[in-house]
Amino acid sequence: MADLKALEHPTLKVPYELLNKRFRAAQKTIDREVSKTQIAIDDLDRCLQSSTVTVGQMKTALDGVVEKLTFLKRKSEESIQEETDAAYVCKKRIEHLKEYEVSHPTQEAQWKKKRLDRMLVEYFLRCGYYRTSLQLAEHSEIQDLTNIDLFLMSKEIEESLERHETTACLQWCHDNKSKLRKMKSTLEYNLRQQEFIELVRQDQRLEAVGHARKYFTLTEESQLSVVQRVMGLLAFPKDTSLEPYKSLLDENRWHSLVEQFRYENFKLYQLSNTSVFGISLQAGLSALKTPHCYKSDGSGKNTDCPVCSKHLNELAKDLPYAHCAQSR
Amino acid sequence: MEAIEAVDREINKVLNKFENFKSQRTQTLQDLIQCLEKTRTELSDAPDEDELAPSHSLIMSQTCLNIKDTLNQIAFEHKELHGNVSKVGKAIDRNFVSDFGGIMQDMMSNDKNMDKINQVICEHFLRHGMLDIAEEMIQETGLQIDETIKEPFLELHRILEALKHKDLQPALIWANENRIRLQAKNSCLEFKLHRLKFIDLIKQGHSHQLMALIYARNFAQFAHTHCKEVQSLMGSLLFVHQGLENSPYSYLLDPYLWEDIADIFTRDACALLGLSVESPLSICVKAGCSALPPLLNIKQVMIKRQCSNVWSSKDELPVEIDLGPDLRYHSTFACPILRQQSTDTNPPMRLTCGHVISRDALNKLANGNKFKCPYCPVEQSVSDAKQIYF
Repeated sequence: MADLKALEHPTLKVPYELLNKRFRAAQKTIDREVSKTQIAIDDLDRCLQSSTVTVGQMKTALDGVVEKLTFLKRKSEESIQEETDAAYVCKKRIEHLKEYEVSHPTQEAQWKKKRLDRMLVEYFLRCGYYRTSLQLAEHSEIQDLTNIDLFLMSKEIEESLERHETTACLQWCHDNKSKLRKMKSTLEYNLRQQEFIELVRQDQRLEAVGHARKYFTLTEESQLSVVQRVMGLLAFPKDTSLEPYKSLLDENRWHSLVEQFRYENFKLYQLSNTSVFGISLQAGLSALKTPHCYKSDGSGKNTDCPVCSKHLNELAKDLPYAHCAQSR
Repeated sequence: MEAIEAVDREINKVLNKFENFKSQRTQTLQDLIQCLEKTRTELSDAPDEDELAPSHSLIMSQTCLNIKDTLNQIAFEHKELHGNVSKVGKAIDRNFVSDFGGIMQDMMSNDKNMDKINQVICEHFLRHGMLDIAEEMIQETGLQIDETIKEPFLELHRILEALKHKDLQPALIWANENRIRLQAKNSCLEFKLHRLKFIDLIKQGHSHQLMALIYARNFAQFAHTHCKEVQSLMGSLLFVHQGLENSPYSYLLDPYLWEDIADIFTRDACALLGLSVESPLSICVKAGCSALPPLLNIKQVMIKRQCSNVWSSKDELPVEIDLGPDLRYHSTFACPILRQQSTDTNPPMRLTCGHVISRDALNKLANGNKFKCPYCPVEQSVSDAKQIYF
């Protein structure tokens, strides 16, 4: 059971973060609707306080309050439903993990196969092989147990960044503003810089200045030199060969934006940078690796041993050997 | 397991509270709305220009205050729920390991390695018959897979599928083609296939009796190796009329025989093709899942004792990991004195008394040419020890 503790943190943490996110959104919605309703009630109150009040005025005021209350009720129901759904995803995954504990040996083999499939799906998603991962998830019926939705959403944003569009990513930054601020993220800032650079590239320098006025005024001290350099770009033509302006105009900056987005997206959901599959594979290769697998005359090879098989043999070359203190 | 129990408890609490909140508060809001609508309908009878009665006024102001209070309460209660939600997160963090850093250098960032890993994964899919997924993967990754590698897996899969549907023909053809090589490996595959076919014919009763008999000629070639079995199979012919279920031969109808044949076929086919029976990827990941907990533990210990540098410079894992007898593919000798594996430069040496230690240990023990065996104190000289080959 120790392997559950070691491997399943991402399985549970990601739906938890989603639940948290939905909770915060629900709280905001409820607060907003409550305050709107209270304004309507204040109107009603004001009507009542005035010396003369007609039935007609009462009727309209009452209508207003009823309308707001109904809206509040509907919105809060929707929000709570979303929260409960997110909590149910957590629950489903926990139920699946519980099965490992109580399983029969044959069922255990099935569960482990599902685990391998889950790890492969996540590995594929991280590499960007979305179609394969979707097919594999369908085949093993593990869609609820993997974080496909998260990766598909980030795929859309990454593709839009590759197309040099910043809108989707800025929207994402806005949605996750508070958490990004806690992480001291510079993503939004870098996006704005890139927009500025693109405006200069298209020779729309006046618009670029306006853009800078809007977004660069809140620069922190540490960023100041960076901003100055970017602003300096205004003075140079777009095919300049002078450093550092040439590298500012480089198309590869978009790639680094994609990577930064990916990294921060992972951090938001507390995913580490390496996949669980990668780590398990390496640990396994190391634990199985013996000098016999690498004997120069090939005499020690065992066809059943994974490390003796062609590709894994090459992969495991740089990994540490298994520690062996007793004859076996 | 208590880690899961802990998180489960918190999630159940959260779900409960949400359900309660939803049902109660929806009801509350509904009541408020109905109360206001009632007042509204009361008012709708009176004409618009009329003034409102003071009593009505008073009641209305009171209601307004009530509503405001209730709304504040609702918002507050929802905020309180956050405590439970964050407890879930804390339970997860407390009970599950989130950080794998520092255990292994990252193999994945290297492109060449990625290619090899993808090859291994693709073979894994082919082996398990997930052919369309393998195809999709080849397309998406741009992998170059030799057709010759795919072929044996495709054939294997085809025959296994047929066996699943109780069709023995493809398997029989294959066994026939590879008869010599199978016999060299002492395989009983062909016999078992014929046996199943024979049992199938007998099952169909009296009408197929003659066919069964003619088919039994196939057993002639197995007369030497499987004599007893052939005899008992022939004996089952006696019970064709009343059906095998009510005879001492009912064990022949056991469905286990079909699962068994699939296993035997896989094993023999893989042995012939020079492949391992189980996919190397599954074995490796299984080993890795068992190996990670002790590695993480030792990493914790090392961090506490602040000696984490020691790990990366060694080329052996810091701790012994017991993977069980199934995952032991190489027999290794480790010197009982130095507790190290034997290598080409440090081979095991047999002493005259029969005990075996490594050459380095031998050299360390000896003063000059004479020394005593550490197990039984037999005196001997260094030159008497001979290298032993396992």
